Amino acid sequence: MKRILFFSRLFSSTAFFFLVANSALAHQESFKAMGVAPPRNEMPAPDFTLQTSNGNSVSLSDFKGKAVLLNFWATWCVPCKKELPSMQKLYEAIKHDGFEVVAISIDRDKKERIYQYIKNYNLTFPVLLDPSQKVRKDYFIMGLPTSYLVGADGKLKGFISGAREWDSAASKKMFSTLVQ
Amino acid sequence: MFLFRFIFSSILFVLITTTNAAAYIGLCCAHCGGNMPLNIMGGGIPETHEYRFKISEMFMTMDGLRDGTDEKSTGDLGPSTASGKFRGVPKTMESWMTMLGGAYSFTDNFAGMIMGGYVRNTMEMTTTAGDYDMFSQGLTDTKLMGKYRLYHDDNLAPTKQLSAVAGVAVPTGKITIKNTNHPTKTMRGKLLPFGMQPGSGTWDPIFGLTYQKAADPFWMGANFMTTQRWGTNDQDYKKGSEYTLDLYVMRQFNEKALASFQLNGKAWGDYSDQPKAGKENGDCHAMLNSTRDWMTPLCDPTNYGGVNLHATMGMQFQPVPLHVAELNLSIPLYQNLKGPQMQSDYMLRLTYYLEVPTKKSRRYKGFSAPKQLGF
Repeated sequence: MKRILFFSRLFSSTAFFFLVANSALAHQESFKAMGVAPPRNEMPAPDFTLQTSNGNSVSLSDFKGKAVLLNFWATWCVPCKKELPSMQKLYEAIKHDGFEVVAISIDRDKKERIYQYIKNYNLTFPVLLDPSQKVRKDYFIMGLPTSYLVGADGKLKGFISGAREWDSAASKKMFSTLVQ
Repeated sequence: MFLFRFIFSSILFVLITTTNAAAYIGLCCAHCGGNMPLNIMGGGIPETHEYRFKISEMFMTMDGLRDGTDEKSTGDLGPSTASGKFRGVPKTMESWMTMLGGAYSFTDNFAGMIMGGYVRNTMEMTTTAGDYDMFSQGLTDTKLMGKYRLYHDDNLAPTKQLSAVAGVAVPTGKITIKNTNHPTKTMRGKLLPFGMQPGSGTWDPIFGLTYQKAADPFWMGANFMTTQRWGTNDQDYKKGSEYTLDLYVMRQFNEKALASFQLNGKAWGDYSDQPKAGKENGDCHAMLNSTRDWMTPLCDPTNYGGVNLHATMGMQFQPVPLHVAELNLSIPLYQNLKGPQMQSDYMLRLTYYLEVPTKKSRRYKGFSAPKQLGF
């Protein structure tokens, strides 16, 4: 009986180990496929409170418990504007699965242009305004577009430099592993 | 011609060897806000660890003569053998200039640049021996310059930047081109006047200061440059020093297009002396005698220099990332010339600008994730 119990526990542990390892491997592969740099040490994402294009205040901590794609962009950045629609498609596809998209515009002014862009492309995720560049500097943004992946625990899980096809299969797979 | 081929071949070599690195990852820029009209010398620097190559074709035309701010007709000056008149008088001049430039940014703040050109000048002359076209062509002087950013208020999207430029103009342009098609046979093989020589013959230091401001959707700035002529050339003269001040404003009216307006001021000095060939052989003197009057007003070293102000309208297009094209038209607003000398009519310039990221470029590999946030 003891032997059966021993083998049963060994089998369960091995199966669990393989499941976790397999999940971690899938996680790594999906990150690699999307060109995401994982952190060496998972640190809390710097919190911030910014106004949305509607004038409402939104904090990053409001999304705790959800995985967040945090994107920095500007209206003068052509690659940024090209990737935002794909971000909207991703948002529509997986927003109910504990996932949120938050875009931060670092335009110093020209709010009207941001509103117009949101309207033209029917962006429904929160677009926050950082005219003072404070949040941009807290996140060490040196080029646009730049995105961060924030886990449901509020910690930084990945860094992405440059534009991506956010509604691609690889992207959806990556976010499914992140939400898990 | 060798240098021109060398520069062209070098550009081709760099383009071929960097093809693998020319991947563009869709990163906007590393230090945006540095846009300048492409015709301004020393204007614009590539992204860090990137090359940029520029090829321009410029057409410039000069029509009629001017002394001070007064226009002069050809008939006021000749052609005539009478005293106080000239045996040859210019009517119009057309110049085509092909310019090649390359630059590389070694750091966020420092870029090295090289610029050279090939010019073809045709001057319509009326002379006592009949009308003809005076012609010259050749390399211009080659400029080697470094541009250092002294100040910026933000690395990613600066609203204010101040840069200093220092360099040297290498005397790759000839100063001894001869007349080949004068109607009088004895005049062929004689030295062409100063304005037809494409070079200065001297190593000339260049200094500049550039202020740039960005206020989306506008870019504006001021660019001051001077080419100092401190030494004399093989022909025992030196060209006058040059000072330029360019003020510009650009407006982005479309994500792929910009319109620009510039005011381009220039002041330049006259030549210090006549060429050695003039003193020794009488080139450019009536009867080829150095004690006689100048053959044309173009031969008098003091008939050069002055101050002018041009207005330039331009359009810049970026149809796809890494490629930029610009078209500029310049017209004179004010000309005060030490003369009589030829006055500017208009200038048209088409420029193509190519950005080539290397494997070290951020637009190739992206930005490094910040260590401060655990990456």
